[in-house]
Amino acid sequence: MDTKNKFFNFLTLLMSLLPVFILVSIFAFVFYYSIPAIRYMGVRFFTTYLWYPGIESRPPIHINGVTAPYASSYGILLFLTGTLISSALAIVIALPLSFLSSMAVELYVPSGIKKFLISMIELFAGIPSVIYGLWGIIVLEPLLFHDIEPWMRDVLSTVPGFAGEIYSGAGILASGVILAFMIIPIIVSVMVNSFDTVPAEIKHGIVTLGATKWELGKYLITDYSRMSTYGGTLLGLGRALGETMAVLMVSGAVVNVLPSSFYSAINTMAAAVASLLDSAFFDATGMSISALSELSLVLMIISLSVNVLGRRIAGRSVLRGEEFD
Amino acid sequence: MKNLTDAGEQDSGIRWKSSTLRNAKNSLAGIAGYLALLAMLAIMVSIFGYIIQGGATHITLKIITTNGNTTTGGILNAIIGTWLLVGTGLLFSVPPGVLGALYNVQSTSHGGIASVTRLFTDILTSVPSIVIGLFGYLILVIRLGMGFSLLAGGMALGIMMLPYVMRISEISMRNVPAEQVNNAYALGADTINVAYRIYLPQAGAGIISGILLAIGIAAGETAQLLYTAGWNNALPSGLLKSPVAYLTYVVWYGINQPSAYAHQLAFVSAFILIIMVTALIFISKFIGRKGA
Repeated sequence: MDTKNKFFNFLTLLMSLLPVFILVSIFAFVFYYSIPAIRYMGVRFFTTYLWYPGIESRPPIHINGVTAPYASSYGILLFLTGTLISSALAIVIALPLSFLSSMAVELYVPSGIKKFLISMIELFAGIPSVIYGLWGIIVLEPLLFHDIEPWMRDVLSTVPGFAGEIYSGAGILASGVILAFMIIPIIVSVMVNSFDTVPAEIKHGIVTLGATKWELGKYLITDYSRMSTYGGTLLGLGRALGETMAVLMVSGAVVNVLPSSFYSAINTMAAAVASLLDSAFFDATGMSISALSELSLVLMIISLSVNVLGRRIAGRSVLRGEEFD
Repeated sequence: MKNLTDAGEQDSGIRWKSSTLRNAKNSLAGIAGYLALLAMLAIMVSIFGYIIQGGATHITLKIITTNGNTTTGGILNAIIGTWLLVGTGLLFSVPPGVLGALYNVQSTSHGGIASVTRLFTDILTSVPSIVIGLFGYLILVIRLGMGFSLLAGGMALGIMMLPYVMRISEISMRNVPAEQVNNAYALGADTINVAYRIYLPQAGAGIISGILLAIGIAAGETAQLLYTAGWNNALPSGLLKSPVAYLTYVVWYGINQPSAYAHQLAFVSAFILIIMVTALIFISKFIGRKGA
């Protein structure tokens, strides 16, 4: 083999390693930048929800060998809670809708429009997140504020979390609903795929035994292909955890106020990084940026673990509704 | 329908109920399924309806042909900026993506590295976009001194586009018959020949479909760009240290401004974005299906 080919082979190898290099660099640098915050805040980073950039007019303080603005505090409890609640809510909304719609698409709907419906569901994954945010602001928030949330409060007033003040439509519910539509295509994709890959003999066998469509669908999704269902749900969750712009636009993006009910405004880890970074530029000690790096690091570890686990369990990966085996 | 008896019951573990109840449940599930689909269709129509209506009623020639600052003027700088950023992203994602896919597809037999890179490539797509943005800010903008710029923003987008290009290219290259590749090698073809004469022509449609999907996704991204591309009221003056405007910023920033005109600009930008992105995704799907 001549040099040109050797070089070409080497180049392809190098390029195939590029994603590894990028991912490792992201981890390494984000970790490196988090070190001052880790030393400054320690465990309090996770146990306090106070995010306060400190008092600029006072001289900075020195703790554990690092410098931070006077009285500054960087706690992510609120953001962590917001991310977990909004993602959990998204799953609660998305899972039944995905289950019902993939079953309808596979078993009930005339085969002529099956392709159209699947494309429609996939399209939810392709809509840019700022568009979801815009729609959330102009359609969903007023609807939640004026109609749905007051109604929920009347009906569910005795259920904890559903009583309380309604300040605006932005908050946990709006975030959960928007996130749900972003992850439905991922879950549906896995469910539809698991339908399609079940051997025909098994499907025919079940039908021959007298099962109804509903029993067939329920059995396949919750039993025969349940690992795919779990995996798909985790892949969806992984997407919800890291979503930034849509949530930033409809969550209310609060700081330092813990939610008191499902109508409260929240903030998530991803949205917090996006909204707090520009003010962090002005922190001369660099501690705010370090704290946001640590926040990103924690977010990345959570969301990547969920994704890897989902990929492992589902046996494939689904990116924005696109199937990758 | 007669109920099954003993043996079947034991084996399947399904407790059969009276058939009327089962049929009622079946119909109910069907109705619920249709309702779920209908609800999703309604929301899809609502999203497209509001954006298209809002955009179509406010779009003027002046808005799309003049520069602006998200609250006054137009969005020409944002339209061109989006394409400049996506174009720069392509430079950093297509060559490595296609070359990497060539390696991965040919090394399936001896596994090892390819399975690791495949895993990392998938993981890279699930890195939250704002984390890529923060990384871009810390490393590209500050440490490497690029400033808010086309290069920094384009590279941040490229990081996000690379996995899509690489994985979809690899999947379409995998459809090339192995015998053909083996025959070519047996006839004395080298890797470059096999890449140019066999993989690229045969997997071309699939690769292009992957690239179009990556463009569609990148054009709609925001979080990577907030702190890498910045914002510019005009066009960037060069690759480095000159910020770039982009459409998603106008949507995000404009709708949060207390000015009717800013909302108008946000709607027009969202309108252009949604048309562009959906068109790209559908063309990508169409080409991909034709290629397969």
